[in-house]
Amino acid sequence: MSEPVSVAAAPPERSFLRALLRSPKGLTGLLMVGLIVGCALFAHWIAPHDPVRQTLAGRFLPPVWQEGGRWTNLLGADNMGRDILSRTMISAQISVQVALIVVSVALVVGTTLGALAGFFGGWVDTLIMRAVDFQLAFPFLLLALIFMAVLGPGFATLVMALSFALWINFARVVRSETMRIRRLDYIDAATTMGVSRARIIVTHVLPNVLPAILVVATLDVALVVIAEAALSFLGLGVQPPTASWGMMIADGRDFLYDQPWIVIAPGIAVLITSVGINLFGDFLRDYFDPRLERTRA
Amino acid sequence: MLASRLFYAALILVGVTFVVASLVKLVPGDPVDVIAAGNPGMSLADMELLRERMGLTRSVPEQFAAYLGGALQGDLGTSIRQGVPVTQLIGERLPATAELAFWAIVIALALAVPIGILTALKRDTWVDYAGTSFAVLGVSTPGFLLAVMLILWFSIDLRWLPASGYRGSALGALFGDPLAFWSKFRYFILPAISLAFVLVAMNARLIRSAMLEVVEQDYIAFATAKGVPRAVIILRHALRNALLPVVTMVGLQMGGLLSGTVVIETVFAWPGIGRLAVDAIHIRDYPVIQAVVLVSAVLFITINLVVDGLYRLIDPRVRDE
Repeated sequence: MSEPVSVAAAPPERSFLRALLRSPKGLTGLLMVGLIVGCALFAHWIAPHDPVRQTLAGRFLPPVWQEGGRWTNLLGADNMGRDILSRTMISAQISVQVALIVVSVALVVGTTLGALAGFFGGWVDTLIMRAVDFQLAFPFLLLALIFMAVLGPGFATLVMALSFALWINFARVVRSETMRIRRLDYIDAATTMGVSRARIIVTHVLPNVLPAILVVATLDVALVVIAEAALSFLGLGVQPPTASWGMMIADGRDFLYDQPWIVIAPGIAVLITSVGINLFGDFLRDYFDPRLERTRA
Repeated sequence: MLASRLFYAALILVGVTFVVASLVKLVPGDPVDVIAAGNPGMSLADMELLRERMGLTRSVPEQFAAYLGGALQGDLGTSIRQGVPVTQLIGERLPATAELAFWAIVIALALAVPIGILTALKRDTWVDYAGTSFAVLGVSTPGFLLAVMLILWFSIDLRWLPASGYRGSALGALFGDPLAFWSKFRYFILPAISLAFVLVAMNARLIRSAMLEVVEQDYIAFATAKGVPRAVIILRHALRNALLPVVTMVGLQMGGLLSGTVVIETVFAWPGIGRLAVDAIHIRDYPVIQAVVLVSAVLFITINLVVDGLYRLIDPRVRDE
């Protein structure tokens, strides 16, 4: 659940890069996200082993710093002798993929509907906002469960369910920002000059809503990563042999007693991802919202 | 205002029922074929009967009317796998989920209120920064991961608390047999903390920012000038108003809590409706899935109505509007 955000356009005199370099929060976040995205992009080349190859001899191999660990498998191996470091790296792909697709779909759908609702008001607004209210009556995960029930678990279902659950976050923020901007004088001026409404939305309203959208998108990525991990943990997300952090943790749960390292590596990977995104999202919010800045000064 | 809220809630519930009732119709192909594929022993006659029972032989409006009618009379169909009325299954499992959610909220508030006050009072000190870090960690940690880690530390390493299971209501023991309270409550601790963690972080932040806002109000300055002790100002004047946004949030957080129970119950083998739903999806027991979704939506909407009412009760400004 992301908090409602209200952000105004950034003051032009402050450059983004300078603000980022001066923010330990933003930098740490970016670094953590960069690490995960790097893993996702290059896992095929840098992963030391084939992530799905099972070796009988390597079963329950402990990480290298424990007795019996080997340098060939830095983080040890799981119950089927698969290399945990390689699996953790390759699993980043699923998280990054799901997050990018889901947030893009939710962003486009939510922004469009939110802008329409905020700009036109009247029955358009009523219709769209009632749909939002209706969806709010479903707890996030239950909504996903409905999709699973109808379509059966899998990657496509996962993506659809999460996109469907998240568009309302964008719709709500964009609607309220659009309503605020629509009342400003320069929109009035543009209307008087005969600029078409579609053009006003695209050239005047959307650029001003963009900071808010960016903040919501960033924070929603964290939500998606966590939700994907949770659903895969329940066995309702991506299906084997594709590796995902949630699934690795679920698999390792049976061996928690003697081989805790099986769950620790993917667990830390999930944490790095979501902490990184949240830190970076917080930084973005601070950057775009001068009001917040003032209360901190 | 209240009447329109009630009407609105009822309207949403009818909509939810419609979605739930037509859910089986949305399954691509024939859901009975899907079920039969997992149950080789099913005869053609069984399949026909099942189609009938799931409402696949009826049109969507007919099915909706039948489902709504049944739901109003407390009939949500029969579990395909277990052969017992779904209402009975839910009746057996709902108390465990409700009590788990209850303890999670108790823990969340018991921790969030002091943390929120402390971080607001010690603003911009290390206490505040620790609070901020904790908040980021709180919203970033998936409940299931925390649950697994807690089991690792408190059940496996330290052997303090049980790793899974449910031994009956702790609240019930509190009032009936206080000596048995701990033996039941210890099963609640790890799952409730797993659920509460994110709420502690969110609510502590809310209370902190609300406190900061309230402290700057004139009436606080006035009370200080009047010589009211600081502790009294904080607890009686400031906190009361700072808690308002939290009351609204607790209602909305119930949605997250219900979602959370789905996962946490699976980790801790908790016999609640969340695990019921996950199990039902794995074996495609549609009537059970339908019922869990409907019951959760009813709960969520009712709780938010109640919270809304409470808010009016606490905050006279809203009441008078």
